[in-house]
Amino acid sequence: MIANILDGLVFGLQLGLLATGLTLVYGLGGILNMAYGQIAVIAALVVAFSIEAGVPLLLAIVIGLLAGGLVGLILDQTILRPVYRLHEEPRVLLSLLLTLGLSFVIEGFLIWQFPLDALSIRIPGGTIDILGVPMRTGSLLASGITLVTFAALFLFFRYTSLGMAVRSVIENEEGARLVGVRPNQMLRLILFLSGVLAGLVAVTRSMVTPVDTHAGLSITVFALIVTVVGGLGSVAGAFLAGIILGIINVVAADFIGSYISLIMLLVAAALTILIRPAGLLGVPE
Amino acid sequence: MSETSVSISTPAEDQPLSSLLIPIGIIGALLALVPLWLGGSRVMMGVSILGLAFACYVIAFNIIFGSTGQLFLCVGALAGIGGYGGAILADNFGLPMVVSIILATLMATAVGGLLSYVSVRRSLGVIFTGIVTLIFALSFETLLLGLGEWTGGDNGRLVATGRDTFLRDQIPPYYVMLFLVLLFLLIHGLLQRSYIGWAFKALRDNEVAAELTGIDVAKYRVYAALIGSAMLGLAGSVYVFTEGRMSPTTFGFGDVDVVVLVMLAFGSIGNVFGPIIGAVAFTIVDEILIEFGQLRTIAYGLLIMILFLRMREGITPLLNKVWQQIRAK
Repeated sequence: MIANILDGLVFGLQLGLLATGLTLVYGLGGILNMAYGQIAVIAALVVAFSIEAGVPLLLAIVIGLLAGGLVGLILDQTILRPVYRLHEEPRVLLSLLLTLGLSFVIEGFLIWQFPLDALSIRIPGGTIDILGVPMRTGSLLASGITLVTFAALFLFFRYTSLGMAVRSVIENEEGARLVGVRPNQMLRLILFLSGVLAGLVAVTRSMVTPVDTHAGLSITVFALIVTVVGGLGSVAGAFLAGIILGIINVVAADFIGSYISLIMLLVAAALTILIRPAGLLGVPE
Repeated sequence: MSETSVSISTPAEDQPLSSLLIPIGIIGALLALVPLWLGGSRVMMGVSILGLAFACYVIAFNIIFGSTGQLFLCVGALAGIGGYGGAILADNFGLPMVVSIILATLMATAVGGLLSYVSVRRSLGVIFTGIVTLIFALSFETLLLGLGEWTGGDNGRLVATGRDTFLRDQIPPYYVMLFLVLLFLLIHGLLQRSYIGWAFKALRDNEVAAELTGIDVAKYRVYAALIGSAMLGLAGSVYVFTEGRMSPTTFGFGDVDVVVLVMLAFGSIGNVFGPIIGAVAFTIVDEILIEFGQLRTIAYGLLIMILFLRMREGITPLLNKVWQQIRAK
């Protein structure tokens, strides 16, 4: 049981980070990015190819994260431009449809060109005992990186003026504009950050299990579920929901069967929408 | 407020019934000729029958989404309840085929109605309705994989019932599906002329105003979902009995819902004849693209993006304009 919970924590932390990238963009810009998983896959492939080309691991990872961020910036400058002209529901709807189309374009291209490539980072060292459970070094490192990232995000949003500016736009866009914050610039920043986070999840995930060309849709779906449960626009909610759902997922997979575990997550998301549409830590309207 | 106290007539009500029946007749006559051309090829007939099944799905989705703005991303799943439900009832429980089809259709209707009722009661809006129904669709796909005893899991299952009937011949199933398409078009057309269609239009144009004029918005949303889901269940069920086999991809989100979205955008949302034009046009384009493998996925994606960016009204208004110009001359 303890082993299950620890495995669930490892997975849950990644889910939380995954959802953070999606939820920030939604909370800030009313954009539901269905191509999010494909951005993670792009970043993973860039890291894999950089390593193949002889780039040192750490530098390869940095290149991959920047590539993810770059895709976010490209989105901002291209297909999201018509979306910015709309507001509220039509805006979310158009962003959803356009990025859904984009996800097909990216996935089709990647599977066409790189059908068998995958990113798998081997972390040396065997297992380390935590609470009497042997945990793989890769899982621990991945969780460590994720926790540090969450801490950095927390500090960024709480204590830097830039982070506070971003939060002000989420809280009240018009008010933020009045005090001199430019929502468009904040959105661009967050789209970049979202791409970097997608890349980071791909990298940490690849320390536990390979991330291949076909992983895009399932990454998006997981991110969407956690985002919905945690509350759209809430980083703390994404963190909490990620951990809860991660543990539910692993425990359910162990006791009932792996196909039920996905259904449990989906049911959790559906129930959240029905009972508390704002999510665990979202602010009810 | 009672329904009779609203006495505003719509343009559609004033038009003679022939303006609905003649186009349906022309579409029926044109599509009825297809087997003369493609009837010799089993593969091409299969593609055509699938195209008609999709036309049914798009008409149903058009009623649910186009008419009342409920983004049902579970078109494939509802059709799948009809398909898998019908096959399991007939093969595993030994019910007659017609009874199985009716029961499976009722199941799809009930599920679709429930999804709509819950969404409307919780006033979920377009996006959350989309997410809830997408979640339902993914759960359905996962269940199909998990319940391998009944569904055959990943590989799918065969349908024994109906094996020795005309439904498995090369050409007759085409006319069965065509009958469904024309029936659905007629139902949608008649609906639009009725009070219900008037209410649909009102709540699509301005929901608040519709509510203020006494239209029970919630009720009409659920009606639309019930009618559309019944169509989906029936079409999915009948299709499966003509095809003789099915797998999760027959009703998958990526395989059905995305295509239905493209077809509807192709043909124009909300318009009675948009779906059939979109379905036919897309089936042809798809057949051309089929040899390009992954490039087809890319083309799908580009098509979705272009359609929703540039041609949000679809090609039907464009064809209408051309038609009116021809008539003016």
